[in-house]
Amino acid sequence: MSTSNRLNDGLIDRSRPMSFSFNGKIMGGFEGDTLASALLANDVKLVARSFKYHRPRGVFSAGSEEPNALVELRTGAHQEPNTRATVAELFDGLEATSQNHRGSLKYDLMAVNDWLSPFLSAGFYYKTFMWPKAFWEKLYEPAIRASAGLGRLSMEVDPDTYDHGFLHCDILIIGAGPAGLAAALTAGQAGARVILADEDFRPGGRLNSETLEINGAPGHVWAEQALSELNALENVRVLTRTSVYGAFDHGIYGALERKTDHLADSSGKPRQVLWRIYSKAGILTAGATERSIAFGNNDRPGIMLSGAVRAYANRYGVAAGKRISIVTNNDDGWRTAIDLTAKDVEIAAVIDTREGSPKAVIPGASIVMGGRIVDTRGRHGLTSIALSNGQNIPTDCLAVAGGWSPNVHLTCHQRGRPVWRDDIAAFVPGEDLPVGMRVAGAANGTMTLAAALRDGEDKAITVLGDLGFSATSPLDLVAQDEPSDIEAFWHVKESMGRCFVDLQNDVTSKDVSQSHLEGFRSVEHLKRYTTLGMATDQGKTSNVLGLALMAATSGKSIEETGTTVFRPPYSPVPIGAFAGRSRGEDFRPVRHTPSHSWAKDQGAIFVETGMWLRAQWFPKPGESHWRESVDREVTQTRNSVGVCDVTTLGKIDIQGRDAADFLNKVYANGFAKLPVGKVRYGLMLREDGIVMDDGTTARLGENHFVMTTTTANAVSVFRHMEFCRQCLWPDVDVHLISATEQWAQFAVAGPKSRALLEKIVDADFDLSNEAFPFMGCAELTICGGTPARLFRISFSGELAYEIAVPTRYGNSLAEVLMQAGKEFDVVPYGVEALGVMRVEKGHAAGNELNGQTSALNLGMGRMVSKKKDCIGNTLSERDGMNRDDAVRLVGFRPVDRSAQLKAGAHFVSRGKSAITENDEGWMSSVAYSPSLGHSIGLGFIKRGHERMGEIVVAADPLRDAETDVEIVSAHFIDPEGERLRG
Amino acid sequence: MIINHPLLGPRDASEFTYLGDASLIDRPDWQTDNAQELFHEYLYLRDNPAGEHRELWFHEQGDRSWLVVTRSTLTHEITKVELARDVAISRRRDE
Amino acid sequence: MAKFTLQSRSALERYIMSFDGVTLKEVADFGLVSIAAPIGGEKKLIQAVKKSYGCDLPAVGSSDVSKNSELRMLGLQPGQWFAFFPHAGDDALSSVSEKLGMGGYYTDQSDSWAVLEISGERAREALERICPLDLHPTAFPKGAVSRTVMEHLGVINLRTGEDTFTLMSARSSAQSFLHAVETSIRNVI
Repeated sequence: MSTSNRLNDGLIDRSRPMSFSFNGKIMGGFEGDTLASALLANDVKLVARSFKYHRPRGVFSAGSEEPNALVELRTGAHQEPNTRATVAELFDGLEATSQNHRGSLKYDLMAVNDWLSPFLSAGFYYKTFMWPKAFWEKLYEPAIRASAGLGRLSMEVDPDTYDHGFLHCDILIIGAGPAGLAAALTAGQAGARVILADEDFRPGGRLNSETLEINGAPGHVWAEQALSELNALENVRVLTRTSVYGAFDHGIYGALERKTDHLADSSGKPRQVLWRIYSKAGILTAGATERSIAFGNNDRPGIMLSGAVRAYANRYGVAAGKRISIVTNNDDGWRTAIDLTAKDVEIAAVIDTREGSPKAVIPGASIVMGGRIVDTRGRHGLTSIALSNGQNIPTDCLAVAGGWSPNVHLTCHQRGRPVWRDDIAAFVPGEDLPVGMRVAGAANGTMTLAAALRDGEDKAITVLGDLGFSATSPLDLVAQDEPSDIEAFWHVKESMGRCFVDLQNDVTSKDVSQSHLEGFRSVEHLKRYTTLGMATDQGKTSNVLGLALMAATSGKSIEETGTTVFRPPYSPVPIGAFAGRSRGEDFRPVRHTPSHSWAKDQGAIFVETGMWLRAQWFPKPGESHWRESVDREVTQTRNSVGVCDVTTLGKIDIQGRDAADFLNKVYANGFAKLPVGKVRYGLMLREDGIVMDDGTTARLGENHFVMTTTTANAVSVFRHMEFCRQCLWPDVDVHLISATEQWAQFAVAGPKSRALLEKIVDADFDLSNEAFPFMGCAELTICGGTPARLFRISFSGELAYEIAVPTRYGNSLAEVLMQAGKEFDVVPYGVEALGVMRVEKGHAAGNELNGQTSALNLGMGRMVSKKKDCIGNTLSERDGMNRDDAVRLVGFRPVDRSAQLKAGAHFVSRGKSAITENDEGWMSSVAYSPSLGHSIGLGFIKRGHERMGEIVVAADPLRDAETDVEIVSAHFIDPEGERLRG
Repeated sequence: MIINHPLLGPRDASEFTYLGDASLIDRPDWQTDNAQELFHEYLYLRDNPAGEHRELWFHEQGDRSWLVVTRSTLTHEITKVELARDVAISRRRDE
Repeated sequence: MAKFTLQSRSALERYIMSFDGVTLKEVADFGLVSIAAPIGGEKKLIQAVKKSYGCDLPAVGSSDVSKNSELRMLGLQPGQWFAFFPHAGDDALSSVSEKLGMGGYYTDQSDSWAVLEISGERAREALERICPLDLHPTAFPKGAVSRTVMEHLGVINLRTGEDTFTLMSARSSAQSFLHAVETSIRNVI
């Protein structure tokens, strides 16, 4: 194992060596390394191929802004593409592979694109793949798809788990660099609830990468002390490996914590947690990101940001090269030369784009003031740089110091737009910050250490004041302000070769000017046309450079040119983290009916209805098709007795002195005079006159009702009634509470239902038709004292009851009904048989109450009372809803009885073609009626009630069918209702 | 978003269900001569302000209160939150 | 003649599980009765509660314990409270209504909810993964109660101790509810 570029010192643990592999080659590193630092330590320069031109690329940065060094991490189902090597923490056994090349990384076949680059400039796709049209699908699309995208998915199910969470604090501090730590200490000591989040695994920000001192000790030592102090405070929570990716309304922030990404094995724990952080105030101390300079061939492996070269030396103990050069437009670049010299790394040259005298003495290095790099050489890694003065300097690493851009992203996630500051040649946060947010340190344009520390402390004191805390004693930190003068310099115009602006998307200075020439003059257009600032890095190292070039081309200032809008996320968030636990079986909760466990034992087939799982049918041995089971359940119910769990219907307990009046207003039909002990069908309208829901409501007492709603509308009906109660009639004495879950309710239907129930109701209750007639209800006891409610209502059209017991007894009641009914040949039936029987009886259900139908359409127009105020009656009288040719709910049967009807078919008169102009209505529900021996349907057709016996065509062009059907009464079974009254 | 509930303090908007313009509280009298016209206006004709908007939210996953929330449609700033029942009662008193 | 009897089931079959720093168990055998005050009848109801239980009808978001510390009155929405108390039978409703009389509207909720108690020094850490409420003692002190949503489920959260929370969610989704809480514990411990 070669670690040829290792220096002394650094914040790595040399007592904990680790081995890892890159493209199959085993190498060594240490705890505290990132994949990038370990690769550089092993002298691996070429780590990736660029997206468009497949140019050789190396590590460019030392942080989350990395545009180049994207790798595939791990293998098999755990493989993750586009992972930034600069933030991937090294662990023992890490496996990484390079991406975006055909053949080996070194000899990528797609590198031919680089030779074709004159043809592949901005807008290439838009211009090239236009004609001939015949090529679109067969040639262009496959070719584009093959070369599109970056990295490969494993194509296997993600075996990792992800979680969500909620955190609350007074102050969220984003970034644990000098300003963030100073702010956190100040706020923490004052007793505020503080969350300090940092994306790095080692908090401290640039303090870990610099040699600057605080209180006479190296900055990273102070950072460590500050952290241990913060960790000791009960009111402070430090989240490392946590990126705050978005600033949302009212002080809510989104953050991604990487829990196990740095471990070889997650031990079954969630890999990442997506936090929603609720804060009263936020302090953004996210620091700044260094940017590049555009000069000829400025993208070769070995060309890196100057601060990154310093970070690798100071933090990771790695020399990014053996003979390093620096190009800078500011004082900060010189510190790279100074720090590396102090570590005995050879400096080949310092090229300062500014005129004047050198800022430091760098022994052995050529110092070029006012220098310009026009070209670089080295196919798979930098070998030399050429200057405009003709000088050619052999060097294997070029540190580029183009100035620092404050990380203003989160300040712009609402409406904020950053403002330009000429003195630091950078955008800083504008006035319109997210509610409660303040910005300190480099993120605020305060670029030097002592000032940043002060800024962090000051902003914390201000925020504490706003929240009613008072700061304790001042931090009294001793630090220097390092030289940081800058003269903006963007582009070497005399460059030979392409000057890259956006490394990730291979956008060059020429693309920027070309886009301007072609009329794309807004920054947003520039971005879309050239792809500048897109993809995983969102142009963190390139945007400002791109804007500067665009400003120069258009002759405007950078301020006038402005930035594109920054949107969340600040750095990539895996889709799995957004999904959290909501995947597979845990996508949504499941609701079980009270008899679920019994039904499961019976081998029931279940169906999802909303979140409910309901028994769909109960297959018996020998039944091979669902229709066999359903037909049997229907027939047996109609011949003897059947039992069905109907608990899922919504139940609302309504009490109060004004309960009857209230119901009279929310239902279209009358309820004021419903006697105690009786049930009534109720039709509920929306205010626009369309039917909202229906159900039965029982009057248990003078001031006590129980309403049922359809399963689907249980929640929305409750909400609607609370709206009526609180907003429309706030004086009424009515109280609502859901009782859906309280009662296990079963339909007991069929000619033998009374006989069955007689066996379980307690002796004092008289079930006879006289004592308990159709539409009666009662509270009683069954099975020796168990409280129950009994309703004589029928959805099937048979003599039928619904019986309810407290849910705890529900499963047992199903068993008891089966036992007690054995002698009557009782059958359990599922929702499929329930549906068949209601179609046979002509009852409207969800398909008919579809949010488009009125009471008139349903044949219940006369139920809508004109004598009282109720929701929906005024507007249901509108002319348009009462046209003579309005559709009416009727029954349909096929003329050829063996034909199968299809729901969704539309009706046209015979002899007319199936086109929209001839449409007369639609089939809403169909079933095979075992009672009649043929297919039947319910549907809406114009003037249906006046057309009994007429034959029309049920046209179904989608399924290529036309069936002659006869219009009949919707009540296929027992139209006079003799059975249910018997 | 966070809605500062008058009884419960700040709560995440995900606990609430949105209905619409708070003018839905002012349901017309069904017996006036032009009732249909008034109901039509009540139900369909809404202002669409760029700025302050009074709207109804239901604390469905909370205390089941209907609230009148005054919110800027431009900034999401919420300047006032009232119990809709209180609003409804005071409007009746004003009539 | 009735020769059949019905067997009672708890929502979660008396689940109990201990983890390192957290215990999770089903609370079974309880009575839960909603009490609503008629408009204009609040004062009378408050007096009746005071007389029968020696506690207040608390404000929304808080709870109060009866004099014999057996019953807890939860303020859940304006004009509505839940009485929560140990009770094995199916007559929780009458046990409350008979005490408080005609001055209120009562609805039995004993079978509507699955109830879990999560306790232990790491209980809050586990709840962070599903509960959007701020459970810091200053924001949600002992006795505080609130309905919220956890993993798509409506949940009433009641703090009964420094590290003890009672969670109630719809009985029909009891298994999903248990799974959600259990997963939260396993994800942190």
